[in-house]
Amino acid sequence: MLLLALLLIPVATAAASYFARRRAEMERANLVGFGIVALVAVALAAQVLARGTVSLANGFFYADALSALVILLTALVAVVCATYSIGYLRDDEQSGELGDDATGKEQLAQLRMYYTLTPLFVFSMMFVAVANNLGVMWAAIEATTLVSVFLVTFYGKVTSLEAAWKYAIIGGVGLSMALFGTLVAYYAGHKLAGSDALAGLNWSVLAQHAAQLDPTSMRLAFVLILMGYGTKAGLAPMHTWKPDAYSEAPVPSAAILSTALLNCALYGLIRFYILTSRCLGAEYPSHLLLLFGLLSMGISVPFILVQKNLRRLLAYSTIEHGGIMVAALGLGGPLGTLGLMLHMTFHTIAKTLIFLCAGNVQQHFKTDLFSEIKGSVIRVMPLTGVIFFMAMLAVIGMPPFSIFQSEFIIVRAAVDGGHLLTGVLIVLFGTGVFAGALMHVSGMILGAKGDTPVAPRRPWCDGSLLALAAALVIIGFWVPAPLLELIRGAAKVVSGQ
Amino acid sequence: MLMKPFLDMQFGERIITLMAALVLVLQIAVVAQRWIVTHIRIFAIQSFLLAMIAATIAWFNHAPHIYIAAGMTLVVKVILVPIFLERLVVRMEIREEIKPIINVPLSVMISGGLTLLGYVVAESFFKPDEPGLGHNELAVAISLFLIGFFTMINRRKALTQVLALLSLENGLFLAAISLTYGMPLIVELGILFDVLVAAMVLGILVYRIRETFESMDVSLLRRLRG
Repeated sequence: MLLLALLLIPVATAAASYFARRRAEMERANLVGFGIVALVAVALAAQVLARGTVSLANGFFYADALSALVILLTALVAVVCATYSIGYLRDDEQSGELGDDATGKEQLAQLRMYYTLTPLFVFSMMFVAVANNLGVMWAAIEATTLVSVFLVTFYGKVTSLEAAWKYAIIGGVGLSMALFGTLVAYYAGHKLAGSDALAGLNWSVLAQHAAQLDPTSMRLAFVLILMGYGTKAGLAPMHTWKPDAYSEAPVPSAAILSTALLNCALYGLIRFYILTSRCLGAEYPSHLLLLFGLLSMGISVPFILVQKNLRRLLAYSTIEHGGIMVAALGLGGPLGTLGLMLHMTFHTIAKTLIFLCAGNVQQHFKTDLFSEIKGSVIRVMPLTGVIFFMAMLAVIGMPPFSIFQSEFIIVRAAVDGGHLLTGVLIVLFGTGVFAGALMHVSGMILGAKGDTPVAPRRPWCDGSLLALAAALVIIGFWVPAPLLELIRGAAKVVSGQ
Repeated sequence: MLMKPFLDMQFGERIITLMAALVLVLQIAVVAQRWIVTHIRIFAIQSFLLAMIAATIAWFNHAPHIYIAAGMTLVVKVILVPIFLERLVVRMEIREEIKPIINVPLSVMISGGLTLLGYVVAESFFKPDEPGLGHNELAVAISLFLIGFFTMINRRKALTQVLALLSLENGLFLAAISLTYGMPLIVELGILFDVLVAAMVLGILVYRIRETFESMDVSLLRRLRG
């Protein structure tokens, strides 16, 4: 039942927002809807911890610890962003970003689009995580692109059209490769004993019989899936849509794209990795994953070092973190997968936080360019400045923040597993990103005093920032036992031990 | 006696191979022509042939669920999507020819090469001792996929890229039919739904690009860098 609720509540929220007549009703619908989704996600996590797996409708919906973790993170991001976007969009409306129609109709239509598409976006991501059938999962991942295209074009600028076009076409080509991969995987398993038409693509069935899948087909399937879902996750060299989409979408949508959607794309990849490694052994997928992971990390370094635009810098940072997670998956084993799941959790929290801070800065200074943000952020907007700096340190992997721990585990997995070069490269690229990001962001936050007026307080935005910042600090020192158990459970689903 | 050939599997396979060959010819015709409306109509005919292939397989294998997939393909890819795209073309008042980057004769030769490549790739899947369609269909499917990619690179107009994306999907549909007699029905429906929504979303996007840039040339989209 919980699985169904995860899908129905966002749809109901979208419907409520669509038919709402005033802004306040839409805001309330989103806030309440995502609040309930978050509670359901927590309940599902508890159920998965108690029972191992949850399934519904004859195994059509299926959730294990891995899905529960992804769902929990998605729900967390959704509820924080729903809170934040109330303040963010009110500010946009006042400053005329949503159009200058005196009757307010144009603005209301824009708001309606945002508040309707966002729940549908969350719905499609939840569907990815609860679909057992790999073909249905593919359809859900494709749906995430289709729903979010118009969030990228939200401001209707020339550049946002360009970003949306790249996002849709590159994503579409990538996903057609992923569909090919899914098809080949279906072919690899369609002769299994007792696999009728539907169960033939059910992951839970395939995973049990992974050893009997046709190895040649699985080899091809994995390459296609890696290219396909890798495009969706923004791995280099298929990452080019990412900085554009993140810098053009409204900030809360960019935050969802960069965290929850990244997790969903990786989730699809991980599901196929499990099948492939059980069929062919871990070595074959691991080489490919390490290659793409390290390439993504490596490519992001020079772009971060010379970056002029705040949100594009964050996008390259997401590409780097995607690379780390894929490399961790490639390292595999109990330690590598544990590092992956911890990193996914920590990155989701820290990156959402930093995007929201960037949103505050961008709305106050009316620009994303470092050179235009004059006057130190910390003087103009003290709360945002402090949290921004903290989140930045967390994202680039400074101790005591949690990402340091997960990166440390991943490097240790590399060294223990004999991938010494990988370990060295992860550290090297990490240092490059560290230097670049710290240079740009600290200059922006702590720079010389300018003449920008002090920002007014914004309860919705600042409130969600504070809550998330508290979460970031707490998990730096103490991860709650049930959450840790869920993370371990998810790692175990992948490594099988 | 008249019904007899319609029960013979061999006969069915021959019909399917013939239709698959037509699909391939149409794909190469796409590369050779220069009008966007022609492109849309060729896509519609191609999809119609695919639906017929699916229906033929359903008939000869007594698999009723494939009829549903064939019917849905007919509704979505032969009727709804082409009508939507043609209306878009009328609304945008596109009259000019499309100039490919590589000239037509060379493009056709490259498509021929890609077809050859399709046959080479399909060879590795072909197992004569197993039931299933011959490797002709799979080779055509892979060629469709590759030529679709080529069209996408070769024609930098927004609407052609959408059509190329749709023909990639057609290639996958044929591959699914020839490898496993189609995907499970629920997956097939999910894919078709996505195709329909994708055509609309991309169509709206193309319209807005055309309005803003007064052109569909995607090489104009290069403001965002670094």
